[in-house]
Amino acid sequence: MDFKSFLNSKEFIMLDGAMGTLIQKSGVSYDHVPETLNITHPELIASFHRAYADAGSDIVYANTFGANAYKLKDCGYSVEEIITAGIDNAKKAVDGTNTLVALDLGPIGQLLEPAGALTFDEAYEYYKQQIIAGKNADIIVFETQTDLFELKAAVLAAKENSDKPIIATMTFERNGRTFTGVLPACAALTLEGLGVDAIGVNCSLGPDELEPVVSEISRYTDLPIVIKANAGLPDPNSNEYDVFPADFAKSVEALLKYGVKIIGGCCGTTPEYISEIVNMLKDKKYQPQVKMIDTCVCSASTVVEINGPRIIGERINPTGKKLFKQALVDNNIDYILTQALSQVNGGAEILDVNVGHPEIDEKTMMVRVLKAIQGVCDAPLQIDSTKPDVLDAGLRHYNGKPIVNSVNGEEASLNNVLPLVKKYGASVVGLTLDEGGIPKTAEGRFEIAKRIVERAEAIGISRKDVYIDCLTLTVSAEQEACQETLKALHRVKTELGCKTVLGVSNISFGLPNRELVNRTFLTMAMEEGLDLPIINPNIESMTGAVRAYRVLSNIDKNSLEFINAYNDSTPAPVVKQTADVDIFTAVYNGLKSEGAAVTQKLLDDSTDPMVIVNEMLIPALDKVGEDFEKNKIFLPQLIQSANTAQECFDVIKNYLSKTSGEQVSKGKIILATVKGDIHDIGKNIVKVLLDNYGYTVVDLGRDVDPQLIVDTAVEQNIKMIGLSALMTTTLKSMEETIKLVRARKELQNPDGSSKCIVFVGGAVLTKEYAMKIGADYYCRDAKESVDTAKLVLG
Amino acid sequence: MIKLDKLNRREAVRYLGGAGIQLNYRMDRLMDECEKIVLSTAEPKFLYKEFDLPFDEIIKGKDIEGHLDGCEKAVIMCATLGNNIDKMIRINQISDMARAVVLDSFSSVAVEQVCCKVDELLAEKYQGYYMTFRFSPGYGDYPINMQMDYLRLLDAPRKIGLTTNDNFLLIPTKSVTAVLGLSKNPIERKKRGCAVCNMRDKCKFRRNGEHCGF
Repeated sequence: MDFKSFLNSKEFIMLDGAMGTLIQKSGVSYDHVPETLNITHPELIASFHRAYADAGSDIVYANTFGANAYKLKDCGYSVEEIITAGIDNAKKAVDGTNTLVALDLGPIGQLLEPAGALTFDEAYEYYKQQIIAGKNADIIVFETQTDLFELKAAVLAAKENSDKPIIATMTFERNGRTFTGVLPACAALTLEGLGVDAIGVNCSLGPDELEPVVSEISRYTDLPIVIKANAGLPDPNSNEYDVFPADFAKSVEALLKYGVKIIGGCCGTTPEYISEIVNMLKDKKYQPQVKMIDTCVCSASTVVEINGPRIIGERINPTGKKLFKQALVDNNIDYILTQALSQVNGGAEILDVNVGHPEIDEKTMMVRVLKAIQGVCDAPLQIDSTKPDVLDAGLRHYNGKPIVNSVNGEEASLNNVLPLVKKYGASVVGLTLDEGGIPKTAEGRFEIAKRIVERAEAIGISRKDVYIDCLTLTVSAEQEACQETLKALHRVKTELGCKTVLGVSNISFGLPNRELVNRTFLTMAMEEGLDLPIINPNIESMTGAVRAYRVLSNIDKNSLEFINAYNDSTPAPVVKQTADVDIFTAVYNGLKSEGAAVTQKLLDDSTDPMVIVNEMLIPALDKVGEDFEKNKIFLPQLIQSANTAQECFDVIKNYLSKTSGEQVSKGKIILATVKGDIHDIGKNIVKVLLDNYGYTVVDLGRDVDPQLIVDTAVEQNIKMIGLSALMTTTLKSMEETIKLVRARKELQNPDGSSKCIVFVGGAVLTKEYAMKIGADYYCRDAKESVDTAKLVLG
Repeated sequence: MIKLDKLNRREAVRYLGGAGIQLNYRMDRLMDECEKIVLSTAEPKFLYKEFDLPFDEIIKGKDIEGHLDGCEKAVIMCATLGNNIDKMIRINQISDMARAVVLDSFSSVAVEQVCCKVDELLAEKYQGYYMTFRFSPGYGDYPINMQMDYLRLLDAPRKIGLTTNDNFLLIPTKSVTAVLGLSKNPIERKKRGCAVCNMRDKCKFRRNGEHCGF
């Protein structure tokens, strides 16, 4: 069936009303899972579908909302049995009419990472099973979704395992967001990009309350809009809803101006409501919306409209950064997250993410880093890699509409990258170079840009989603090149109507006072129409230039953003950092900057770094630990002291890597919160302390597969493993992990004894239990973990 | 709708193992800041549902039977501070761990305060009844996996976005499920106490000769 022509065959498409409400009213009883009625009471369910079809529904939703493997676990029927029966009932009920049957799929019922523990790929498998089971349906509906990431998994499962049309609706709260914080605009941008056929809202609120959400969605998409509202709000006592059919229809009528084409009812609605809406629509015309906003990228919770220069942060990139490379090799994701957060604080609105490094698996790392950044940071991301398989994996696991960096004019690149951009609904950076290299002239670069845009449009990518990079060359090597870049940029902007992007900092290589050259070039480029400067947002003068430009070119209305950024920036009082504190005082009192300053001063006075570590830092930390044990100070103070020590260590590490390349690590330790457990704050506290005592921590995160722990220990030759678990239910994972460690040949001595020391901790553990499951040490708090590390590694 | 306007600082300090410690100025400031952040980030939501005898759907094991002994009604409830709190604590764990543990502790205090408000609300609604304390899955021999049944009975995933994972951990993490018994006749007002507590052998409060307060 061609869904477009089905949609166009009528002014409006009617959906059905609630299934649950009718089941409840009928008084039929069932055990836990209402979908089992498909098999136990097929006639009853079919009669509901028939009632809706008679009332005027063009599409009825089969009774399959919760029919997934998680919710059906103990119900005695398989997903296939319930879904097949559900579709059959609906098909029989509407037999002989033009009414279509939808496979109706609600959320799985578990939260996805980062909030929960279910992975994207697991969610995909749940939906895939349902979609294959529902092969007899005419159309697939995803509804009542609150997590855009889960919905993306669902849509991909549908696209990759069927060719049916897709309707996707999400559920928003009064505050205009879903439970997981998704904005209507982000849903619209992302779902349209993924190629669904209609999008909208269902459940949670009545039609009146949904107006702001529906209007926002309509500003961000051309797709037909769906509404399936509740009959108002339920009375908490009687569970009766408070909007009756005639008023419901009236409220729906008020929403038609937002491009609403597909209409039904959710909780509390019945065939009466559907009849009433059909009546109301008799003399009404579909009013397609005018999409107001056309070039945006987003995460699930933040939209960045490209309507003037927007800053892309360049810092998540190992090129030329020793510490960053080391972080990648050590799998030190927190280091990368720190970079992400500090760039956003500096003023970046989009972050470029590049994790290419020969010593690591770039694809796995890209997915891991994207997920981790999206767990703590709302800024949209730009996925940066030269490898199509890395881009593919990254695009798949990104929540929102990202930018791909990049495609270029080479045939291979166009063929490999553009289809990915189309499939996942992203924007893309187009580099103006090809097999012949970078053209010297503006003319040459413009021609390549034109070709990229044509090829993108040929496979259905809008030119609004192609951001052309006319390439910055180093002015100290080719002085005339700068003008060619700017000329090309101007032509791309005015003649092709594309947005433009430039890496700015390249311009000044080899010159003194690079910042001045960079800033001046940035300003010139913005005047020629640069939309997306890629810069280091933590350099205040660069970020400031963009902000000031937005004021002066009348983009930042009433200078609101500018004032917000600078209003409370009273110049920081100049702290006399070489103050009179010594390291002991600084560490004991948790005075970070003083600690760093005094350490630097000691080094400048040529104090032996190892003397600072062993005779000043460690004794100070020991005193802190002792006072913590005696209840003289409490946990936050212990951590602040440890963090101060870290600052001091960092100064020393920096000094050593400059002078001798010598490492000060006292040994490597793996830390992980065991499989199934997501409470990881305790493990993270241990990590901070171990870090600060000079150990190198390989942090594998939370909900960690035992196999990954063992493999990491083997690969990196690590002799000490710390495991945490908060709940009694997850202690068994801890036991399994220890067993696996003990069983691994490479981690055994020739006599079969274990080379690995395992220490464990967590609220529900006791020493006895720890010994029983085979751990070497039980640590009741972070301080004891450090003591244990000292004992084992020295 | 429940709104919190103040958090119990003494409790927060106690959770952090600081009972009896004199906070210095910097710690006081940190506590002030964190209290404000938690108050502005928390989105308290709750649900409850009433059951009449014989409570078949929620009875499992001896301890819950004892708890509801003599009660004609039982009210199951759940409460959560929402996803934003978890995310905010996650962010702070990266930028400032000391702050993160204080935020975590205030959040635990906050969800307990939300539960107390639900208690008050129920006490008002069920005037004329005597009420037991809140008894949660995981107490005594009452299995933790009952959390899943509670959430299903309350329709919590759909109504307030509260779910569990395969190991019955609540997500968002700052959340509670519990049951209260109601009786027209006076109920012996038991303290929750250490006797029914699973943590009694490993509790850090007991170790220091204190009590968690429940």
